[in-house]
Amino acid sequence: MIRVSDLTVRFGQTTVLHNVSFSVTGGESFALVGESGSGKSTILKALAGQITNWSGALEIANEPLSPGKRARLARKVQMVFQDPYGSLHPRHSLDDTLSEPLIIHGLPDRDARVLAMLDAVGLPRRFRFRLPHQLSGGQRQRVAIARALMLDPPVLLLDEPTSALDVSVQAEILNLLKGLREERQLTFLLVTHDLPVVSFLCDRLAILKSGRIEEEARVDALRAGRFETGYGQELVKRSRDG
Amino acid sequence: MTLLKVDNLRVTFPSDHGPVDVVRGLSLTLGRERLGIVGESGSGKSMTGRAILGLIPPPGSVTADRLEFEGTDLRTLSERRYRELRGARMSMVLQDPKFSLNPVITIGDQIAEALKVHRSLTARQRRVRVLEVLEAVRIRDPKRVARLYPNEISGGMGQRVMIAMMVVLEPALMIADEPTSALDVSVRGQVLDILDDLVRRRGMGLILISHDLNTVARWCDRIIVMYQGRVVEELGTGQLEAAKHPYTRGLLSSVPRIDETRDRLPVLNRSTL
Repeated sequence: MIRVSDLTVRFGQTTVLHNVSFSVTGGESFALVGESGSGKSTILKALAGQITNWSGALEIANEPLSPGKRARLARKVQMVFQDPYGSLHPRHSLDDTLSEPLIIHGLPDRDARVLAMLDAVGLPRRFRFRLPHQLSGGQRQRVAIARALMLDPPVLLLDEPTSALDVSVQAEILNLLKGLREERQLTFLLVTHDLPVVSFLCDRLAILKSGRIEEEARVDALRAGRFETGYGQELVKRSRDG
Repeated sequence: MTLLKVDNLRVTFPSDHGPVDVVRGLSLTLGRERLGIVGESGSGKSMTGRAILGLIPPPGSVTADRLEFEGTDLRTLSERRYRELRGARMSMVLQDPKFSLNPVITIGDQIAEALKVHRSLTARQRRVRVLEVLEAVRIRDPKRVARLYPNEISGGMGQRVMIAMMVVLEPALMIADEPTSALDVSVRGQVLDILDDLVRRRGMGLILISHDLNTVARWCDRIIVMYQGRVVEELGTGQLEAAKHPYTRGLLSSVPRIDETRDRLPVLNRSTL
């Protein structure tokens, strides 16, 4: 479903990603973990078409990506961002936010689709005409997930989707994501530094360090704390020690 | 020795539906120790910290049967006297260094400002103190860093600079409000280590406010768990597993573990709390 081969990204003189390759099959949930600056978010940005100065080959749902195919890409892949306060338009009601992709892509039955999506992400229908500031952080993240799913993309890119939330709300959003993935056979590519979240939500993971993949492993290896590389072990240890 | 005594603290804000109590009758005593206050957004934990420092903005109001810091009654303190205490005897580290540091003043000058206001030192003495305190928060090249602007340093370093700014006057009480939640996991441990070191070596009292129950538990001598403005449970180190209140238990079980195998995470049922 997602194939990344020899992805290299340079910003000026600095190379942020060095020949990164991995692939994610349909319905799988894959995590990219690593410290700040390891390049994990840059991979998401390249896949989402937010940066264009990459080289290598990217493919989503059997379609090779190249800079400039944004509109078609939008129906294949959508992204949920970290900060639910910053990622919604403050003066657009939920209805505006959720209808916009349907208008752009000329899809019918907007009314029914918006209501169905509110139900799917567990938001009461009476919230439909509210503005983001009238919602809590967890509710806003539900809106962001709903917005991402409006065009029914097979792939969701998740950039630290719960790290700005309280633990009790984090649990609700993680459960929601897991449920949606099962119902809709979604493919997830998750970026996080939170290993326990990976353990809950993902099947496989890749550990990034300084723009290179150090290790790819199944989530069982994470649960057992048995990574092959020293760096992987170190990350597990740090996560345990807080 | 008791640094801080708080009895029946209440913080109230007016709203369209009448006054709302965001802190409802909180009591605590603090010695030279590390106390953790844990709770979700809206539990009143940050307001508790701000009330102690006299930083509740109007129209909010603070009442207490007792609010005493080093024997001084804070309730009747004038704003001028409060300001002398703040920074010098009690201080606060905030969550995000990006928003708490002045972007147009160098790191060194920002730290020196506190010394200028509260101490009468020569410029040379101030410079020496600034370098000392930067070294104390484990900044490797203090001379260079003192000349940098906040946008030239990383988040982790920014937070250490904030801590340096707070400890340069050697306060007796430090309140750290989510000091690590804006930071990368890899530098969190380091920031907590530095705080810990300062508490031990300088005999400070520390209140660590956080939503991260596990970090606080690993790190504090005592923990207070707050929910809806009230203390629902008080626990000592290592007693986290023995927590009894359904809210604390709910919070603990809703956190995924590194060896997670549950299909769904339990969610707090607020109607039964």
